[in-house]
Amino acid sequence: MRRALYAVPLLVALCGPWLASSGDVLHGVSYDPETGWLGTDFAGRDVWQQVLLGGRELVAVMVLATAGAYLIGVLWGLTAATARRRLADELLMRPLDLLPAVPSLFLLLLLATLFPGGGLVWIVMLVHLPDIARLVRAAALEAAHGPVVEALRLQGESWWRTTVRYVGGSVARTLAADAGTRLTGTLYLAAAASFLGVGVSPDAADWAVMIERNRAGLLLNPWAVLAPALMIIMLSVGLNLAFDRALRRP
Amino acid sequence: MSHPLDHPLSRRGLLGLGLAAGAALLTGCGTSSPSSASSGGRLRAAFAGGGATETLDPHLANLFNEAARAKAMFDKLADLGSDVSPQPRLAERWEPSSDLRTWRIHLREAVFHDGRAVRAADVLASYARILDPAKTFRARSSLALIDLPNSRAVDERTVEFALKRPFAEFPNVLAAFGTYVIPEGHTDFAEPVGSGPFSFTSWKPGRSVLLRRNAEYWDGAPFIDELEFLIANEETARMNALLGGQVEYAHDLSPVTARQYASRATFVKSPNSAMQAFAMKVDRPPFDDRDLREAMFLLTDRQGLVDTVLPGAGQVGNDLFGRGYEHYAAEIPQRGHDLDRARALIRKAGAEGLAVELTTAPVAAGFVEAATVFAGQLRAAGLKAEIRTGDKDTYWSDILTKGTLASFRSGAMPIETHIAQRLLTSSTTNATGWRRPEFDALYEKAVSAPRAADREGAYLEMQRTLHAEGGLLVWGFADWIVATSPRVQGVSAAPANTMDWARFDKVKLA
Amino acid sequence: MRPAGYVRRRLLLAPVQVAAVASAVFLLAEVLPGDAAVVLAGDDPDPERIARIRESLGLDRPLLTRFAAWAGGLPRGDFGESLVSGRPVLGLVLDALGPTAVLASATLAVLVPLSVWAGVAAALREGGRFDRALTAVGVALYAVPEFALAVVLIVVFGGLLPVTALGGLTPAALVLPVAVLAARPLCSLSRLVRAGMIGALASGYAAQAVRLGVPERRVRYVHVLPNAVTPAVQQLARTVDWLLGGVVIAEAVFVIPGLGTLLVDAVADRDLPVLQGLAVLFAATTVLVNLAADLVAFRLAPRA
Repeated sequence: MRRALYAVPLLVALCGPWLASSGDVLHGVSYDPETGWLGTDFAGRDVWQQVLLGGRELVAVMVLATAGAYLIGVLWGLTAATARRRLADELLMRPLDLLPAVPSLFLLLLLATLFPGGGLVWIVMLVHLPDIARLVRAAALEAAHGPVVEALRLQGESWWRTTVRYVGGSVARTLAADAGTRLTGTLYLAAAASFLGVGVSPDAADWAVMIERNRAGLLLNPWAVLAPALMIIMLSVGLNLAFDRALRRP
Repeated sequence: MSHPLDHPLSRRGLLGLGLAAGAALLTGCGTSSPSSASSGGRLRAAFAGGGATETLDPHLANLFNEAARAKAMFDKLADLGSDVSPQPRLAERWEPSSDLRTWRIHLREAVFHDGRAVRAADVLASYARILDPAKTFRARSSLALIDLPNSRAVDERTVEFALKRPFAEFPNVLAAFGTYVIPEGHTDFAEPVGSGPFSFTSWKPGRSVLLRRNAEYWDGAPFIDELEFLIANEETARMNALLGGQVEYAHDLSPVTARQYASRATFVKSPNSAMQAFAMKVDRPPFDDRDLREAMFLLTDRQGLVDTVLPGAGQVGNDLFGRGYEHYAAEIPQRGHDLDRARALIRKAGAEGLAVELTTAPVAAGFVEAATVFAGQLRAAGLKAEIRTGDKDTYWSDILTKGTLASFRSGAMPIETHIAQRLLTSSTTNATGWRRPEFDALYEKAVSAPRAADREGAYLEMQRTLHAEGGLLVWGFADWIVATSPRVQGVSAAPANTMDWARFDKVKLA
Repeated sequence: MRPAGYVRRRLLLAPVQVAAVASAVFLLAEVLPGDAAVVLAGDDPDPERIARIRESLGLDRPLLTRFAAWAGGLPRGDFGESLVSGRPVLGLVLDALGPTAVLASATLAVLVPLSVWAGVAAALREGGRFDRALTAVGVALYAVPEFALAVVLIVVFGGLLPVTALGGLTPAALVLPVAVLAARPLCSLSRLVRAGMIGALASGYAAQAVRLGVPERRVRYVHVLPNAVTPAVQQLARTVDWLLGGVVIAEAVFVIPGLGTLLVDAVADRDLPVLQGLAVLFAATTVLVNLAADLVAFRLAPRA
């Protein structure tokens, strides 16, 4: 049951494009709740077909951007936290102050105007990276400078064992609490981009774009908004809860 | 946030093209009896606007809210009536010389808000400001045919304009967008002074402008005491503000909003307003082929487009601008949907399976929707259609030179102005690349032939040519939609850019 | 390390950071397609007129000249003038800062006490009914896109509360935007507090303190809580920064003429001086907020 929460949207996202009827998209009256399974959207297209088509790219952006940001961010933060010289720590962390100094939507607006229709993955990654690195560093500081690490170092354990296994392990809990929200944070940025009309084509079959474009007809055909919104909400709630459970398991 | 119409953050409700022209059915102003008593109260109106970057200089007005405020505080010599023909305003009447090169304008008795009379010298000074080569006022090209050094004030209330060439449609110029009359020497617009129905009270840039009733207005004092313009760039925000009672008037709403809230607010729709079209470039492949253009005309399912994009708020078009306007060629039969003939023409042009790139952007209501639907219709006729989304901020400039097929629209303007700006060899915004010496000559005849019948004939011939093989595929006309609270009475159904659009001096609060 | 020295060093570094951000934004904005002249011409893109507008705005000058002219004014507090409206950038930015600051303060006033309370309450009864309910509600709220939440709130509460700030930022008009803005950070903050609290409670020193006879309440709130909220402080700093950096969507939906609205307008208008003014302001706030966060974190959990 719990698993269905994220499995359904993931399945729709991955397999939907194969299930969607290929060929010409038919256009009827906009926001007609009587046509097809879920009615029609702002351009008179079948909402169900659009839902089938609309998840793949969003999920790809979410997964790629989040994974990339974590990979770099965790290593970055751990290296800074375990640095034995303050200078190294400073050199690693200060440049990260530059990036968040530009609000993420500012960055998004500028970059997306610059590269219309692409680059959302990179923008989202850039936005999340400093955050993750700082979080990891803050959470790891105590363990990194505690007696255990000193002991491990004295025993001549490798950097991998001390830093990644032990110190990294000590921040796992904070990270896991962060991961679920981080994934949805990515969805949020993608959705914000579509709201601002940047980075994504306004007629794209994309759950976030669908919510934004179809909300004008919310009262006429609610499904045009609710169906993609449900997909996004199920996906992020499901993933969040899954991370949460994994966290509680010893 | 943009394209004022459909995209939430877009706020550039650009007028000229963007606006709609007017309702053929509704009567204009001018006939209303002067009001002696005011109904009182403050009317708050929500417009999409220029945000913190807006201006109160009426000659710089570019956006809906700027134009609406300008017309509340200022007057033009003439304005466009319900058939988009020029109607006298500050000018009481006009008469041309027999060679159409000299026009005499008689001003009515009117005063500016500071008590000074409106004089011929103010008119000349205003036009001189607009024509200043060092400035960049939008109306400059409209006034360009005035020979200002040879124009003069005959007396306090008579102006004589000398023109650089004979021009029968000179009153169109007097009604042109942005040609407001300001008091001579008063170019500080921190506290604007005009002769309009409302005078300036206060301004918070990017937020609101508050005006008060001008009891001395020559066309009758307004009924309401105060008029406040508020800025809400998102269409849904304007509608929500109306439903929530924060404003009494919401400008520029979509057909979907009108359908959705039909029972909860009063919607005023003005037919034959914004022309909806696709612009084909006739000066380059593939649309330099006349057969292919005709195929495009025939493969378009106009009713389908209207049903999807303008449900309940639009009519089909006949590939001609200005339905219901003065000089419109209503006798040309409506073109229908003929897929077989379209396919045959495509074969004849050797264009089967041709890849067509359709440029659009969320700059105006319905653009993306219409492009999405039209791409489907192109595919059904055997063409390969690809939608390219352009940059919304620079769209109009981009489509002037780039691409081959683009979403296009236009608001109300006289048919003569439409041709002069977009369809002559010398036109500066010729988005279809339509440049033909014989067509230029017809236009010359239409605006300068001494006999009215000859001029009318030239208009018809130009429109026959455009209908048969022009580059503008006009598939529909959208209604202009505003909503008011039930307390508001007297809002005319006038498309934007015409005299009765956004006109608040005849409005009452119950 | 002494905090005073740290603060001095960071403050000395701040102008460098701000300058770096401003230059980067200038270059980015410079390569945006089109310029203010094209945007100003709008739907009347007569090329000759665009050229004249460009000239009158001084946009035909070389890039370096324009940047130097702008940077030269900074030490005098002159941020230049908006290309589109001609008004001073400083005035435009300060005007927009007001509503944004009101909105941010109201949001924080709700957010901080609520998230600490919720996080602690959930951690104390880990796995309990409240904990599970908080997780479910928080996660669900976090998952709803901002504008979707706003749309729903407007539909539901539209009859009771003002749905736009067109009538001014009154307390009533603040309710819906604050609810929208606080929803997401509330979830992430309370979860971080909760995770930190659970971790700290499980650590040896809490149990040790209890064994030593320190009252349990004292252990929780004086010893455990400060350690537990350290990761959350960094997150709170990001939230404050986000709130001050222009909450574009909430401002658009609720018609609040703040920094976010100004930002969107400036990008659309290619109004470079305004964009650079905003970049400087945003960079400065970020530096200060992060500095404050570091100091707070330092106080709560001094580095060994």
